Amino acid sequence: MTRVQAFLLGITVMMSTTAGVFFLKFWRSTRDVLFLAFAAFFLLEALDRTTLFVFAGDNEGSPWVYFIRLLATLAILAAILKKNYGTGRSRTL
Amino acid sequence: MAEAVYLLGALTSLLCAILLFRGYAAGKRKLLLWSGLCFAGLSVSNGITFIDLILLPQWDLYSYRLATTAISIALLLYGLVWTSQ
Amino acid sequence: MAESDQEQRRVDEFILEKIDSVSHLEALLLLWNSRPKEWSPEEMARRLYVDTRIARELLADLQRSDLIAAVSNSNESYCYETRSEERDQIIGLVDATYRFQVVRISNLIHSKGSSAVRDFARAFRFTKKEPE
Repeated sequence: MTRVQAFLLGITVMMSTTAGVFFLKFWRSTRDVLFLAFAAFFLLEALDRTTLFVFAGDNEGSPWVYFIRLLATLAILAAILKKNYGTGRSRTL
Repeated sequence: MAEAVYLLGALTSLLCAILLFRGYAAGKRKLLLWSGLCFAGLSVSNGITFIDLILLPQWDLYSYRLATTAISIALLLYGLVWTSQ
Repeated sequence: MAESDQEQRRVDEFILEKIDSVSHLEALLLLWNSRPKEWSPEEMARRLYVDTRIARELLADLQRSDLIAAVSNSNESYCYETRSEERDQIIGLVDATYRFQVVRISNLIHSKGSSAVRDFARAFRFTKKEPE
């Protein structure tokens, strides 16, 4: 990994974490699960990239990495579907 | 497996971008613009990853993937900090 | 006037679901208390001591949330129109509550999260039906 790549990776992890924390805050104030899903997405992304950086090469090769990323993506899709097709209170906002 | 995950990621990000841009067009809320740009960028980044790992393994597009992702999240963060009240 | 717990919960639910800000609430209650008087943004701006542009947005928001009605053969006039007895009852309760619990109601509204955040969430709604 070049220095530039390491730098980009580092700031991406940091920004992703910060974005995740913002979404946690929004979830706390609105109680809308959608924000929890986005928080999970960004925090899991940060976790993912950190794991990659620590344990593997840079080309995202381990199955765990895909699994975590898949979870993060599915969380958002699930929240969007729930918001639109769910019943009762899950559709607030 | 990897292909499916990145493709799904690209499509989900694209969906988010579309919904957010649609919302921005409706209410002109700046937060939606910046987050829409972020997810558009993330879908591009996922797309580049797909191309990099599956279609063009002879080239290394890692720096471009990282740069696109970094810029996308930076745009989101700008929006979150300045426009989320 | 003592208020039962259930009434208070209904008031809180209504405010959490329908009211975006204290200004929106005051605009709504202004139209409610003067019903069926019609208000233009200019009149409301004078009465609420806000900018006309803001009054216009408040009225448009309230109309979009289906809380007030736009008067049909006029430009930009709104009034409170009775849609259902239940809605009238709830707004009456909200009005009474707000008079005596301004601080609590304001805090409740502010705890909701900013309207930018709520617009973000709303952007992900693509089905048409109203929430229950």
